[in-house]
Amino acid sequence: MTDGGKWSGAVFPVLAAALLGALALSAATGPVSISPRAAFDAIFRGTDDTPARVLLSLRLPRALLGALVGGALASSGVAFQALLRNPLADPYILGVSGGAAVGALTVALFLSADASPLLPLCAFAGAALSALAVFLLARRRSGVSPERLILMGVVVGAFLNAVIMLMVTLAPPGKIPGALYWLMGDLGLGTPRRVAVLFPYVALGTVLLYLLSRGLDLLLLGDHAAFQAGLSVERVKTAAYLTASLLAGSVVAVSGLIGFVGLIVPHGARVLVGSGHRRLLPAAFLLGGAFLVLSDTLARAASPAGELPVGAVTALAGAPFFLYLLRRNGGRS
Amino acid sequence: MSGRVRIVVARRFLAGFLPVLLLASAIDRPACAADRFPLALKDDRGVIVRIAAPPRRVISLAPSLTEIVFLLGRDGSLVGVTRFCNVPAAASGLPKIGGVIDPDVERIVGLSPDLVLCTTDGNPRDKVRALEEMGIPCFAVAPQNLDAVFTAIERLGVLLGAADRGRAEAGALRRRALLAQPSSGDVGKPSALFVVSTVPIIAAGEGTFMDELVRLAGGRNAAARFSGRYPRLSVEGLVASRPDVIFVAGMSGVERFPPEVTRWKEVPAFRDGAVITLDGDLVTRPGPRLVTALELVSAALADWRARRPKASGGKR
Repeated sequence: MTDGGKWSGAVFPVLAAALLGALALSAATGPVSISPRAAFDAIFRGTDDTPARVLLSLRLPRALLGALVGGALASSGVAFQALLRNPLADPYILGVSGGAAVGALTVALFLSADASPLLPLCAFAGAALSALAVFLLARRRSGVSPERLILMGVVVGAFLNAVIMLMVTLAPPGKIPGALYWLMGDLGLGTPRRVAVLFPYVALGTVLLYLLSRGLDLLLLGDHAAFQAGLSVERVKTAAYLTASLLAGSVVAVSGLIGFVGLIVPHGARVLVGSGHRRLLPAAFLLGGAFLVLSDTLARAASPAGELPVGAVTALAGAPFFLYLLRRNGGRS
Repeated sequence: MSGRVRIVVARRFLAGFLPVLLLASAIDRPACAADRFPLALKDDRGVIVRIAAPPRRVISLAPSLTEIVFLLGRDGSLVGVTRFCNVPAAASGLPKIGGVIDPDVERIVGLSPDLVLCTTDGNPRDKVRALEEMGIPCFAVAPQNLDAVFTAIERLGVLLGAADRGRAEAGALRRRALLAQPSSGDVGKPSALFVVSTVPIIAAGEGTFMDELVRLAGGRNAAARFSGRYPRLSVEGLVASRPDVIFVAGMSGVERFPPEVTRWKEVPAFRDGAVITLDGDLVTRPGPRLVTALELVSAALADWRARRPKASGGKR
């Protein structure tokens, strides 16, 4: 695949417009009816009635959270796919999800129920700890190989799964649903404060990954070739691994485990802009943001039985799309 | 005035009605139903269960069934209950056979029961079938509304050789349920939301006991606009449905709404502090205490009616 793709010039404006359109659609959808006029007044004149408050403190924060989370997951997915040289890698492949789940369940089951503000914090701690554990276990004097990372990730993931099953079995009934719903992936916690908390992590993580673009390009050639091209392979790998894990972990902390975005959006973005990371990373961020915001809008609007977890929608919409991509590209992506 | 959460303790009400319960048990006449055995009774699965003599070793696979056996005065015959059977207190001391969805078949067989009481809402069908294949009669009870609970009490009375007691207890409960319903003079149908979880907000929709309690108490279920038995609501969905009263069935341990939810004073229940926590067992177990729950819900809605003239009237 060459850098550029078919529609090289127009891709970024179109993607940015798609994200803005998704944000607007999300802000216009919900059970409380808000006229365009009321929305205008709320944003530009600072009115303070119910529609204005619903728009400003519920819908917009939720839409923005969706954009940040989707963008961060897609960026993290791009990095893991390059790092592990594996098209099936996603932000959760190396035990981040299991660690987050154990952290969340610990709060939900064993701490006082009113400690639920601690839940995101402990999920982040769990995700970070398991990511670090996998990294340290996979490291050898000769460096970190993708195969060892995946192997250790799978083993640590299996171990954490067993811990989760044990916790759920031993837990008092009725204490589990809160944590499970949260783990299914949920943007319903989008408050202005959460958006503000997440923003620096996502900004830092995406900028760092962008700075690693050239290194990620070279990693795709294989360690040896990358080294011969003058890359300090181990440093790039370590930096990419830790940055991608930070992105995934901070996102898990505010929105639970939203699957599939980090897996399919990078492939979609590659179809649009090619596999050069300097273009792929921003494209994946915009596409991931738009995809998740649209999925969440669908999750809120489509079901007459209240809300669906957005994680279910991303997988429902994502899996067929992924298969389509795979077949279109003749099995190569 | 603002976001004050009132917690109504069920025990207070129970104490109030204890005399009624005592009276009901005093009416009980000596069991004269032994002559009706052997009997054949169709259960809620449509299976005809045959019992030769009044059962002496009974196992209950659900907390509601355990409560009914105690209510019928046949607790002397209980040889096994689930680990969730905690009402009345004496039930906790009985041998445990596992949980509702995971009863231990081997342990049940080991207790050599002559009758197992089970439910189709929770007990796995294949475990019940395994018991039946070993020759243990299993009687399934699955009441779906309050009236069916009363009927179930009567039928279990017949089955356990306490038919008169069953009729008397069911009759007393029916009278209490009638008393708890609003009279024709009570005007105003408050909209009430029953939630089983506050984070995330999961409401009780149509087809649940909680929905029936709200309707019987003279209210409208604010979750009726959503389909499904347990719809999940966004904060915006809660704001849009504007319930006058919110009941929290405390079962997850998370019984309080977080401040970012209660600050929506557009919701009359938050504005007036009409958020009432009920014991979750009370509203989800299809047993005699559903009537207690109805009395609590009714009292809360009566409070709303009494308060209404002051609070600038219903806006809807």
